[in-house]
Amino acid sequence: MLWSSQHRWVRPASLLFTLAWVCGLASWALARDLVIGQGTDVSHLDPHYSTSASDVNVYFNLYDNLVMRDENLNLAPGLAASWKLVDDKTWQFKLREGVVFHNSDPFTAEDVKFSLERAIAENPRTSVYAALNTVERVDILAQDTVNLVTKQPDPLLPTRLSYYGGMMLPRQYFEKVGMEGFRKEPIGTGPIKFVEWKKNEHLVFAANPRYWRPPIPYARVIYKPYPETASRIAALLAGEVDFITAVPPDQVEVIQKSGTAKVEGALYAGFFNYTINVKIPPLDNTLIRQAMHYAIDRQAIVKKLWRGRGVVPNDAYPNVDRIGYDKSKPPFEYDPKKARGLLAKAGYKGQEIKVESAVGYLANDKQLTETVAAMLQDVGINAKVQMLEYSVRAQKLRQKAFEGLMLGDPTSTLLDPDGMWWRLMQPGGLVDYWRHPEWDRLMGEARFLQDPKQRDAHYKQAAKIFLDETPMLIILQPEKTFALKKDLNWKARSDEIVVVYDLRPAK
Amino acid sequence: MRRYLIRRLARTIFALWGISTIVFIVMRLSGDPAVLLLPQEASVEDVRRLRQELGLDEPFPVQYLRFLGNSLRGNFGESFRHKEPAMRLVRLHLWATLELSFAAFCIATVVAVPSGILAAVKPNSLYDHAAMSLALVGQSAPTFWIGIMLILAFGLGLPWFPIGGRGTWKHLVMPAITLGAFAMASIARLTRSAMLEVTRLDYITAARAKGLGEGRIIWRHALKNAAIPIVTIMGLQFGALLGGAVVTETVFSWPGIGRLAIQGIYNRDYPVVQAAVFTAAVFFVGINFVVDLLYTLLDPRIRYE
Repeated sequence: MLWSSQHRWVRPASLLFTLAWVCGLASWALARDLVIGQGTDVSHLDPHYSTSASDVNVYFNLYDNLVMRDENLNLAPGLAASWKLVDDKTWQFKLREGVVFHNSDPFTAEDVKFSLERAIAENPRTSVYAALNTVERVDILAQDTVNLVTKQPDPLLPTRLSYYGGMMLPRQYFEKVGMEGFRKEPIGTGPIKFVEWKKNEHLVFAANPRYWRPPIPYARVIYKPYPETASRIAALLAGEVDFITAVPPDQVEVIQKSGTAKVEGALYAGFFNYTINVKIPPLDNTLIRQAMHYAIDRQAIVKKLWRGRGVVPNDAYPNVDRIGYDKSKPPFEYDPKKARGLLAKAGYKGQEIKVESAVGYLANDKQLTETVAAMLQDVGINAKVQMLEYSVRAQKLRQKAFEGLMLGDPTSTLLDPDGMWWRLMQPGGLVDYWRHPEWDRLMGEARFLQDPKQRDAHYKQAAKIFLDETPMLIILQPEKTFALKKDLNWKARSDEIVVVYDLRPAK
Repeated sequence: MRRYLIRRLARTIFALWGISTIVFIVMRLSGDPAVLLLPQEASVEDVRRLRQELGLDEPFPVQYLRFLGNSLRGNFGESFRHKEPAMRLVRLHLWATLELSFAAFCIATVVAVPSGILAAVKPNSLYDHAAMSLALVGQSAPTFWIGIMLILAFGLGLPWFPIGGRGTWKHLVMPAITLGAFAMASIARLTRSAMLEVTRLDYITAARAKGLGEGRIIWRHALKNAAIPIVTIMGLQFGALLGGAVVTETVFSWPGIGRLAIQGIYNRDYPVVQAAVFTAAVFFVGINFVVDLLYTLLDPRIRYE
């Protein structure tokens, strides 16, 4: 007899095992690859040293944060199963159990401490330092519990942790292989794990079978750079890639008509607006700034330049902000007559006003700037267009050397007024040109208030001052547009992050 | 010959030093990388600290001397953006550019030289007009436009070739034709004019009078004497292909040094730009040198002393 009685159970069990293995292998083999075409290649895979969009898009899939955002951008448990405010300055995070890194090391409180301390290190200072420097220290209470103590009360800490900089890195692995080794073969806890990277060619990841949520339905996720927009779109239409980022408004129709691909967009979590250097006459005159506000036909800009893919703003904050934003206000008004009246009242004598912009940095930047300047000229403002190269703009930005109006695209990184106007316009901020004691007080106080109602009231009051004083010429809230194959389902997010986990084959 | 070689080598070193210095100065005049590397939230203090880390806070001459010393040892520094040695990045991308340029050069030569000769043999014929009109298009159409047209026709309309990336020979076809188009046109036009000039000379008439076959006259007698300008332009074009691949590499997402250099310029990634330009310059100077040596083979009257 070939099978002894004591081994008789082995046969059906091994058959079952083989069958399961074959099925598993077959489903893996049948699983498709997901190819994502971006405008540029990733610069490196160390999440603490880059905040560029194409890099962050990969980081959010390779690594996980303690707190995540769901499809509707609401905060949701990530590597932290729950969190609570212990006292004004202490947030307590309970970690999710059973999470492992791609090398099977368990995820623990030690990793949280290591990651956050590295992010806010003084020397060398990381690229994400400013986003997380409200944290004073990380206290480990148990293997699954940490307290994050902040320098001041920080109601936004969970939000900050959901954004860049809040990614969890493996302490043990990092200590073993060092920074060089980590950058060569990075590991995280995310749904994709690193396989291979040929610079400017492809970046390959495999599905993480031990992910703490059900694994993604792809064998591999591949990122490819297509710097030229026309080629990127052609690659999607030819089926070479499944998903592309940065689709310009004028290409939407081509994709929609193709029959094989579709377009998905979400309103940008921020504005396209012109920062006004209020220190330069005649821009120091509030009436002239108000006149500019009424001189812009925003509806025409959205309709013609963005082909309807955007909205005319109605408040000092974009409509994605969770606090402070008032949706009952009407969209900004276009009233050239009022603009002319305000100019006359201000005694405007036709002094030249420069309207600056980088070329090719933002979608439609050149066209928008020319249009805005023409609209200003229509009401009698002597507007002069000045186009700059991107790095020259960056330099002027840093040196606070704007010569008049400068186009920008401030993002509400935390979907909160603190993450946009206060981040940029606070004393010493990147675009600190305008100061108003009451606005400063309201914004400065609001960021430390743990009561959401109080914060909301502060921001609403601050918005009124902001709109009266017009330190920024807000133009529009454009849509950020992506395109994907028709057999995929995905909902675009206002924060522009492409979360592979949410990108699903259509049933 | 040895003295010539030494002289030539000295000139090459001088050229490479000059190019490196110009790139060093121009890059530093064009903007501050620290500003571009840090996120918007970064403070003035952060920028100052990064400039110090990158050695950009030192006086210009100190930076220059350090750059010279390091580059003599083949060390161009670490890329600001990619956080790895610039020369390693260039090496990784160089092979792709060489592959593309060589393919483009082969296509250009194989098509252009016979076309030029045929056009010269039958001047003002229908073939001549057709070939030269096509060459005019190849020379005047922007590379970018040719690339996009090829993508639309043979990537999207007839899905014969992949649109972007590198890997199989199929990936190479469209970028090589796009890149080679300009060189193809100039080589064809020059081959035609050089051949026309030579075929008017007395020794060709003599060969014909001797009763030699037309094929033999063209291939053995005329072409050999028309070869000098053709080889010159081929050499120059190959150098231009190496340096001019930027647009093609961008349109076809080809991972070459042109694209690497352009990214480097946008990001003010000095080490990458310096390493890429230096490498391209080495190839350009090297090819010119090879062409000069080829002259002696083609025309025994040319001697380098």
